[in-house]
Amino acid sequence: MGTPNILIVEDETHLAQGLLFNLQAEGYQASIAGDGVSALGLLLDNDNFDAVLLDVMLPGKDGFEVLTALREHERYLPVLMLTARGRPEDVLRGFTAGADDYLAKPFDLSILLARLKNLLRRMAWNRRAGNQPSPPNEELTEKPFRFAGRTIDFSRLELVTPEKTIHLTLMEADFLRYLAQNRDRIVSRKELLEQVWRMREDTDTRAIDNFVVRLRRYIEDRPSDPVYLQTVRGVGYRFQPGTPSTAE
Amino acid sequence: MRNTRRRRTIALFITLGVCMVALAVTLQFGWIILNWRRLVPLVLGIPFFALLIAGVILNTIFLVREVRRNEHHDSFLNAVTHELKTPVASIRLYLETLQRRNIPEAQRQEFYSIMLSDSDWLLATIEQVLMAGEVGQRADKSQVRSEIDMRSLAEECVQITRQRNHLDNDAISVVANDGSPAIVSGNREDLQSAILNILDNAVKYSLNGIKVRLTVAAENDAWVVVRVTDTGVGIPTAHLKGVFKRFYRVPNKSMLRVKGTGLGLFLVRTIARQHGGDARAESAGEDKGTTVILQLPLLLTKTAQSRPALLSRTGTL
Repeated sequence: MGTPNILIVEDETHLAQGLLFNLQAEGYQASIAGDGVSALGLLLDNDNFDAVLLDVMLPGKDGFEVLTALREHERYLPVLMLTARGRPEDVLRGFTAGADDYLAKPFDLSILLARLKNLLRRMAWNRRAGNQPSPPNEELTEKPFRFAGRTIDFSRLELVTPEKTIHLTLMEADFLRYLAQNRDRIVSRKELLEQVWRMREDTDTRAIDNFVVRLRRYIEDRPSDPVYLQTVRGVGYRFQPGTPSTAE
Repeated sequence: MRNTRRRRTIALFITLGVCMVALAVTLQFGWIILNWRRLVPLVLGIPFFALLIAGVILNTIFLVREVRRNEHHDSFLNAVTHELKTPVASIRLYLETLQRRNIPEAQRQEFYSIMLSDSDWLLATIEQVLMAGEVGQRADKSQVRSEIDMRSLAEECVQITRQRNHLDNDAISVVANDGSPAIVSGNREDLQSAILNILDNAVKYSLNGIKVRLTVAAENDAWVVVRVTDTGVGIPTAHLKGVFKRFYRVPNKSMLRVKGTGLGLFLVRTIARQHGGDARAESAGEDKGTTVILQLPLLLTKTAQSRPALLSRTGTL
């Protein structure tokens, strides 16, 4: 693959220019979109971007709207959100909209570059895993997780149900992987925030429920009456993939 | 989403208030009917119920106001967070870039000037927030006042605004009406900050080309009137008064493009009122430009009349 092509969506010219300079210095191709509408236009019109740095407070369409629209159009390129408000509610709103990672402003340049690199690397693995029968990397040997007629293919970022195939964002895949690894055990909201989202804030964790509601739509027959991913009142969640008789 | 929740809370409080008033009124009539012909309970009861009803109404108004204030406070926090964090993020990004990479001298200089302008932005926001706190608490009459020539002050402000925004002279024009004195008694720093805020807004909200006109005129031998007219986004009629409230920002899509703390015009009006004047806005509507008018009492003294000639001929009038 050639040099990764990154789209910077940021309306503050100074920040955008600084990011552009650094990405180019790191050997990426990069371009800037100054508002939500033009960013969405660029992303939907051509397929040549490999990742997006997305600011939240944008003129016109804000970052959340851009992201939601992007995912609705089935574009699953990795998105790193940059938020001025580092409140957990905002971050989780970003993840619910389909973000793969987030950074609060002001951010550390080296961390930004590292996270971006990480997103691109994971995306590249997933692509290779999708194309090659025998993956060369250890991460790729991760087996699909099957339960109740559904298959979560972590390397392809897909959830295959009897009815349809759902594309997962990296973050959704991480969340499901963590639940699968800790199945039949109660997982607290705080633990999920720390382990999956890498958030240390000691704040309101109820916002995580929105994310769970969304996942239930993928994995439950009746999302309002969950069987596999149950809420444990006052504690967190328990994923019990083997509950009903239909398993395996 | 948050807004609809607030609106629902307000609706709930109003409904509750109305129900309680209705209940109190019913009880009052019941009381009157039951105690008809008995003077003492009637005389005692009627004012008591009236008091109760007034209390409920006041309480409802207070609650609704408090919810509204909270809402403004919330939007203020959002705006200030953005206004404070963005320049810091930018400065930090450039510092780290300088630290991390070998950068040619010319580019280095460019980065320095970007960081300087970001730190100016940061400082301006901090000053505005601090000033809003200070101005709100200050006792009206206790300040040190001096005679100020509004023409020269306005001109100075125009120069500062041009420099800050890298504008040429045509972008902001100053129109001198006549040579009549425009002297007021006031706090120079405050008045300067008021005019600067008005000019900043005029520049900020001119999204399609900046054409700002400032006039200073003495009117009716009683007022010095500073008018700043732009051709920018304008203000819908319903919001012409609201824009002077603290934290108020016109809820409008095109306003989202312009960032600010929602304190600028609040400061302008507060300062104007502390000087015995007022501030108001005029606009024909959205996209039709805005005129902000700052009106201050004219000071008529002999010394004042002889001074402006000296002061005001320094700039580009």
